[in-house]
Amino acid sequence: MSAQQVKGPDQEDTRSDSGLDLALWGELFRYAMRYKRQLVGLAFFALTTGFCDVCFPLVSRALIDEMIQLTESGGGFPEGSDWLMPYLWAYAALVLGLSGSVFFFIRYAGFLKAYMAADIREAGFGKLQLLEFAYFDKRPIGWLMARMTSDCERLARILAWGALDVLWASTFLVGIACVMLYLSWKLAVLVLLVAPLLAIASRFFQKRMLTASRSIRKINSTITADFNESIQGVLTTKSFVREQDNLASFEKKTDAMFESSVRNAVLAAAYLPVILSIGSLSTAAALILGGYQVAGGVISLGTLVAFLSYTRMLFEPLQQLAHIFSEMQMAQASGERIIEMIATEPAICDSELVKKKIADQAHDPVPGRAIDGDPDQLGRIVFQDVEFSYLPGETVLEGINVTVPEGETVALVGSTGGGKSTLVSLLCRFYEPTGGVISIDGCDLRERSLDWLQSHLGIVLQDPHLFSGSVLENIRYGQLHATDDEVYRAARTVGAEVTILRLPGGYGFNVGAGGSLLSAGERQLVSFARAILAEPRILIMDEATSSIDMETELQIQKGLERVLEGRTSFVIAHRLSTIEGADRILVIEGGRIVEEGSHLDLMAARGRYHELHARQGIDEVGVHIEDWS
Amino acid sequence: MAVGIGLLFVVPVVIRSMIDGFVSMEGEGGGGYSFVAPEWVRSVADVLGVGTGVVTSLMVAGTLIIVVTVMAGLFQYLKGHLAARASEAIVRSLRNTLHSHLAALPATYFDTAETGDLVQRCTSDVETVRVFLAAQVVEIGRSILLVVCVTPVLFALSASLAWVTLALLPLLVIYSVFFFGRLTRYFTDVDEAEARLTTVLQENLTGIRVVRSFGRREFEEQKFTAANHEHRDKTNLLMRLLARFWGFSDLVCMSQGGLVLFFGAWWTLRGEITLGTMVAFTMYSAYVIWPVRQMGRTLVDAGKARVSLRRLGEVLAVQHEDATDEVIEDPLSKLSGSIHVKDLSFSYGRGNKLERGGPRERDDQQEARQVLQSVSFELQAGQTLALLGPPGSGKSTLIRLLLRLYDYDGDGGSGSIELDGYELSGLSRDFIRNQVAVVMQDPFLYARTIDENLLFGRPTASSEDIQAATSAAAIHDSIEGFSEGYGTMLGERGVTLSGGQKQRLAIARVLLKQAPILILDDALSAVDHETEGLIMKALGQRRGQHTTIIIAHRLSCVTQADLILVFDQGRVVERGKHEGLLAQGGAYSRLWAIQSAFKRQIDAHGNRPDLAGESKINEVRP
Repeated sequence: MSAQQVKGPDQEDTRSDSGLDLALWGELFRYAMRYKRQLVGLAFFALTTGFCDVCFPLVSRALIDEMIQLTESGGGFPEGSDWLMPYLWAYAALVLGLSGSVFFFIRYAGFLKAYMAADIREAGFGKLQLLEFAYFDKRPIGWLMARMTSDCERLARILAWGALDVLWASTFLVGIACVMLYLSWKLAVLVLLVAPLLAIASRFFQKRMLTASRSIRKINSTITADFNESIQGVLTTKSFVREQDNLASFEKKTDAMFESSVRNAVLAAAYLPVILSIGSLSTAAALILGGYQVAGGVISLGTLVAFLSYTRMLFEPLQQLAHIFSEMQMAQASGERIIEMIATEPAICDSELVKKKIADQAHDPVPGRAIDGDPDQLGRIVFQDVEFSYLPGETVLEGINVTVPEGETVALVGSTGGGKSTLVSLLCRFYEPTGGVISIDGCDLRERSLDWLQSHLGIVLQDPHLFSGSVLENIRYGQLHATDDEVYRAARTVGAEVTILRLPGGYGFNVGAGGSLLSAGERQLVSFARAILAEPRILIMDEATSSIDMETELQIQKGLERVLEGRTSFVIAHRLSTIEGADRILVIEGGRIVEEGSHLDLMAARGRYHELHARQGIDEVGVHIEDWS
Repeated sequence: MAVGIGLLFVVPVVIRSMIDGFVSMEGEGGGGYSFVAPEWVRSVADVLGVGTGVVTSLMVAGTLIIVVTVMAGLFQYLKGHLAARASEAIVRSLRNTLHSHLAALPATYFDTAETGDLVQRCTSDVETVRVFLAAQVVEIGRSILLVVCVTPVLFALSASLAWVTLALLPLLVIYSVFFFGRLTRYFTDVDEAEARLTTVLQENLTGIRVVRSFGRREFEEQKFTAANHEHRDKTNLLMRLLARFWGFSDLVCMSQGGLVLFFGAWWTLRGEITLGTMVAFTMYSAYVIWPVRQMGRTLVDAGKARVSLRRLGEVLAVQHEDATDEVIEDPLSKLSGSIHVKDLSFSYGRGNKLERGGPRERDDQQEARQVLQSVSFELQAGQTLALLGPPGSGKSTLIRLLLRLYDYDGDGGSGSIELDGYELSGLSRDFIRNQVAVVMQDPFLYARTIDENLLFGRPTASSEDIQAATSAAAIHDSIEGFSEGYGTMLGERGVTLSGGQKQRLAIARVLLKQAPILILDDALSAVDHETEGLIMKALGQRRGQHTTIIIAHRLSCVTQADLILVFDQGRVVERGKHEGLLAQGGAYSRLWAIQSAFKRQIDAHGNRPDLAGESKINEVRP
């Protein structure tokens, strides 16, 4: 494949602070609706918590007033403690109510968070398994990983705790306001005058903190990328003795991080004192006016004490609300990306017609047919006027017309970037042609089941991916129910066994993440065995032996001859010796088939293929050919 | 900070004195209260020259509350600012240390380490530590200071009520400590479940093409769902534990408040304390209990930070590759490039894998893997050496030993390597690496512009030098083809190069380096034949300028070599020049036969080759 000018999607939230996107949060909230019981529980206990919080000062107020009453009326010390008991009980009930509510709401919020994160993640994962490769080409794995891990967690957390905080804070605020208005509306109005001020200040700071933390995250992602690079490129760095220079450029980033973080922390450090200072205004106001009213006998002393408590409680829910709105705003971009991902319709999937055929076949199976009810065979493959471009206007393939009878070995040759890999990707339906038709046995590929097609393909790539685990497990991936013996046989067939047995532990050797503990050639051998074990109807080898020496390669070819008996195969290779035995050779240059025929036909034609061959032959054999023969 | 906290105490005291001002004249007015200004208000009023009426006193007290809060806020701000500077500075140096530490680790460490895991340690674990430092360390200090400061004030106000205020604290502390142990365990569980989930996810996404081509969607979904649900259930358990903790600590804290309130009420009525003192106490008890209650959050963060610090410690504990080196004096000049390898053996065994604190010590059970056995050869400056052999036969290991990426004088190796007569293990790694230019099997390019990548070879190179190198590596035209030419960004945010383009760019990069020794480790595997021919020709023109080592599978690259070594299972099974090896009739000549058989057919326009060498192939293999 040629160099694709693929820009990675923007890694950071570059969106401006456009308010809250309620539709988006509604969409996300649907995930919470699956757990109605917990949601109702959460709401209930958020309300009771707010209620209890409001009631505490009321109990103190009543107690104080009662005390003053007692001392005033009797002047003496009341006998026993009976007068105290109602308050004690009320207080104890509130304590139990509050701590019980706290226990349950954390319980429910925690549950919702854990389950919603898992659900969102599962939906995303399921969708990723269906999306076409073009989707992955445009999005680096790190980006997808971030969506599926931290973003899911974050959204679930905000949804669960956010719902809780909003409910609790509003109950609390409304409760306080009502109680204060009831106790003394004048005083209440005076105290509540501060509330808008608090809200404005909170928004002011939260907004700035939001911007600051965005820039921190931006720098943070470059730091992460830098760590990633320094680990993956460690050998290169060492071989160029670049350690000091790399560190110097890294330090610039950590310096920038330091500056931004401190700026953010300073904002945070200023925030609380400002809020407290504004709060003290209301405390002072309550004290002055309240004290005056107490002196005038308008309100009781207990009421004043209750008011003083309320003024100090007021800023907590306000702050909480401001915080949760900022968090939601900040997480909005993550939410959008995930919802977008889950909502993406796979560009390549079974059409309605095919789905119906699959349903019919499942309902009323015709024996010997594939899952979509059509004949279970992959015979003659026809490319008809096939055209393809990754990006509009940049044609990769055009005017591809080929017919491949069942059982043929087709070799694709040509210079890098000519479109060879793309051609076979189209056959696998990893990409969809932008023009023309690919058909199998006269049936358009798009009218067959995608799963059925792909499960009959065996693909070996130049840089094959292995999963962490033993060699045995990796080969068995081709056929999950294969016995050990079948696995060994597949390895033997492709001549991989000698190499495998040489590894410590043989088939039990752990290949490491992505097969990193094996050399490139060893990985290719294992992936070959894996492909063979799957007994594919069509085998596709894309530079599959580039890191394998010629002798091993020959052995693979010999083994393959048996396996490929009656199977169609496609081979892409630079080494011409690999492909001379092919039934049909396609020379692909600049996205077109420029020559087609058997090795001998093409040699006789003395065209492009001959030219390639001659050049390679001379380089390889040079002037020594005579000495040898 | 202390001043800030001190100021916080003033507010309740002010409120107390005002309340007491009311009650001191209790019962005299019908229904209302009269007011006597407390002592301190009177003195303030005297200074200001105003009266001591209710309104004035209240005004004074109210103003005082505001002033005091603002001042306390100022100190709190200063505290936050300083704490942020300190913690961010610590984290910055932690990041820098990690970065330079990673660069100094031996290459063997990275053979077994997982990139994702390491990156996670360097980023999220550092972040966890940062959060702990920034938020909690200061918080802990504040809590302790608060408790220490408030206690004497409480006792001064009323000793008996002070005891009541502190009564339930020990209970809370004991419970928290007990809880901390459980919490750490639960956190580790969740962390591990998360790591498993991430691994499953990462493997699925990197291998998505394999998953698709084998139609393994269901299998993968099962695997993922299992990991996902495990993580979910572990998280849920953790939350349940937290719910219990918060519920219980709220119970204790509120009961504590209740105790103060009711004992206060009791004693107030008995006349032992004033009403104002009681109100002040209810406020103070919040000061004491609130930080202790916050201990839950602090403990959660401390638990996380402890796990993160351990994980970071594991990375930092791995020894640098130079850890055992003595001070080395390097030769002053550039080497000429002669290489003399004597009896070199090497195995990846326990000795060469990391023993202490690897991210995953999953290879423990895997025994030593003998990679090289008694390899010897001699190469004059300017000569070309070619290495052939099947995968895993030890060719790349030899290269890594030459670069001192692996050490042959360690546990797993023996023998000697000399450069210009200097023993390799007696030269510093930086010096050696400056003498050797190498293109690896899977070359790595930095996510920077093409130009910057090339300049790594030689930072002082002129644009003519660069163009000469890229032309020699047959990549110049491709680069010019990009819309931004040499300024094109590589990597995720720029252009993705094909395997062949990467290899060619990497070759251009090492050509710029102009080192006496040039190594191409299977560096042309993804390049097509025509291009390969061009590159080999360009390299041929530089013959004699570098000592060259080539690993290749195509014989076209090796016929011209001064020495060819054929490797199998870590041994040199054949050695010599092209002609000599052909005459020997061994493995090399068979390889040659395979390739030239085709050639003869081509020239003769005859039948399909019958592959003369094929029947003997298996004899080469053990």
